[in-house]
Amino acid sequence: MPPQRRPEATLERALRERHVLVVCGSGGVGKTTTAAALAQHAARGGRNVLVCTIDPSRRLATSLGLNRLSGKPRAIDLSGRRTKSPRGALWAMVLDVKSTFDALVERHTPDAAARKRILDNRFYRHVSAALAGSHEYMAMEKLLELSADPQWDLVVLDTPPTRHALDFLEAPDRLMDFLDTSVLRWFLKPYFAAGRLTLKVATRTGALAVRLADRILGLEFLQDLSEFFLAFEGMYDGFKERATRVHALLRDPASGFVLVAAPAPLALEEALYFHRRLTEKEMPFLAVVVNRVHPDPGRGAAATRGHRRARVPPALASKLVETFREQQTLARVERRAVARLEVDAKETPILVPEFEQDVHDLKGLALFAETILPAARAASNRVRAGAP
Amino acid sequence: MLLDDLLSRRLVVLTGKGGVGKSVVGASLALAARARGKRVLLVEVGAPLEAARLLGGPPSKGRVKEALPGLSTVNLDPATVMDEYVRHVVPVDLLARRVLSSPIYRRFFSAAPGLRELMILGKIMVLEEARARLSRRPAWDVIVVDAPATGHGLAFLKVPLVASRAIPVGPVGHNARRVLKLLRDPGRTGLVVVAVPEEMAVVEALEFQRLAADELEVEPAAAVLNACHERRFSDPEEAEVLRLTAEEARGSLEPGVALPAALRAARRQIRRRRLTRLYRGRLKRGLAAPLASLPFLFRETLEREDLELLAERLEAA
Repeated sequence: MPPQRRPEATLERALRERHVLVVCGSGGVGKTTTAAALAQHAARGGRNVLVCTIDPSRRLATSLGLNRLSGKPRAIDLSGRRTKSPRGALWAMVLDVKSTFDALVERHTPDAAARKRILDNRFYRHVSAALAGSHEYMAMEKLLELSADPQWDLVVLDTPPTRHALDFLEAPDRLMDFLDTSVLRWFLKPYFAAGRLTLKVATRTGALAVRLADRILGLEFLQDLSEFFLAFEGMYDGFKERATRVHALLRDPASGFVLVAAPAPLALEEALYFHRRLTEKEMPFLAVVVNRVHPDPGRGAAATRGHRRARVPPALASKLVETFREQQTLARVERRAVARLEVDAKETPILVPEFEQDVHDLKGLALFAETILPAARAASNRVRAGAP
Repeated sequence: MLLDDLLSRRLVVLTGKGGVGKSVVGASLALAARARGKRVLLVEVGAPLEAARLLGGPPSKGRVKEALPGLSTVNLDPATVMDEYVRHVVPVDLLARRVLSSPIYRRFFSAAPGLRELMILGKIMVLEEARARLSRRPAWDVIVVDAPATGHGLAFLKVPLVASRAIPVGPVGHNARRVLKLLRDPGRTGLVVVAVPEEMAVVEALEFQRLAADELEVEPAAAVLNACHERRFSDPEEAEVLRLTAEEARGSLEPGVALPAALRAARRQIRRRRLTRLYRGRLKRGLAAPLASLPFLFRETLEREDLELLAERLEAA
């Protein structure tokens, strides 16, 4: 195995050169913040960057110091008092599942009547917008659309938490499975295509499945469902083609995956699992970012041997020792967990220390990028040196 | 008292952003209910099996297992619950097995949006309604459910609403309406929002409250602020820490503990303590529900006694 390049440099280069960056990881690890920080860094470096979150809660907006983001890309003002004015531009948006789905239907339906049949279908109307699985399907669709737009040099995609993020990688396949005509022909079509309720289905298991579905779901719903599937049938090839392109896009050398984790043992276990899956699927993996690593208060401190005893009131001294020990324990637990990542995944993670303040505005995002990326640090130093 | 009101309901559902320690809060809440003499079931949805591990009980994949006297855990896996449902609907074993082994069933189940969530919530409803065979008294006094993280947590809880609209007739539609009724009944169900003293988690907790009210017509019954850094140094001590820092005081407090390093740790503790106060205030102002705070625990691994400590804190809230 070739010696690993420094992950910071790999990431830095990806931000300059790649076209799609997928930021993934389990919940609560600072994925959205990381995505936004990397995106603003690339924008400051001169690229036109769009960062898109598919998380239904609007964390990205908070990260950017805004109250709301909409389904349309919105320009973010990067100029600040202490920062050099950016050479590129940063845009941000939240995935709008319903309108993405509608647009997809519009693109693939042959005529207005077919379009209306789907858009008016009760099953479609309720299920397309609200349910968890749709987010992943539509995220993939949106990513494909955005990546094809020449306006963006780089699209940074923030994803839902790990177990969902895996769904998200598999979303195109699952969509295909769900809409697969052979499944439909087997399952529902013979049942309703004739326009009447008949249980004359090709196979006995098929008949049983239909009877079961009737029992569980009810006839009226089955009718909605089968209409939905019948309407989608003509779109199947279009969908299949999109799914194939999503696969190709995710594996493209111009794409890259950044895995975000927290230093807690459980969170790192999930990160390891996700890393394995990405590698198995031959996705272009870039780096692991471990956020909010607690510093060891004892580290870097001068050796205490030979020091005289400090003059501190005993009550305060014992509280100080307790506080020191607590933080030392925490740092030790985290160090061990991170070490496992290096051993098991053979990845040197980028460690981001816990910040003095929570990162929730542009200044914080710039600081975040400066902390992990050497070039960001250098640029910022130049600005500071040039300031009066 | 927060628990008096909360535990008067049989079903307690915990929601919150990922990483806020919902499993730990859930296990502590279950212990607190158990300490009140209630028969408790702690339900986890999906893979982690955290509850059983934390409580030292046997992993309870799919089956209700007793972790401690009076406290059982169960891990609900959507596929298992769905299979169980099929066996229930198709009483003939041979036929049921044919359905379960059919690839159509597997594929439909893994792809149909919302079906998993609906199955899990249906199962939870069945547990809530379960009665002992002879005495007819409820099988569980309290059922604590560790629901998936907020963004998806609301999507999770919204499934019965969506399903009841999408499927107007039939058993699934009917059951979706029953689940919805259960979730909306403040006499039976209490939603607990879990957060940590951080910007994103607090924003999300408040957003959850708003969305739950707007879209589900449900108000959270309580909130728990987990991982709080509590006051350790008195005001004069904090001043002393700052003075010693400014003086660049040297020396050691005990072997291996240099004063400057300990001061650094103390300043960090003070900073986190102030942030905790800030976010607790914001949560308190924004939430209509009573709020309990749980301390951040510095441990190599969490033991049951740590959870008992948290349970006592919940009891005192």
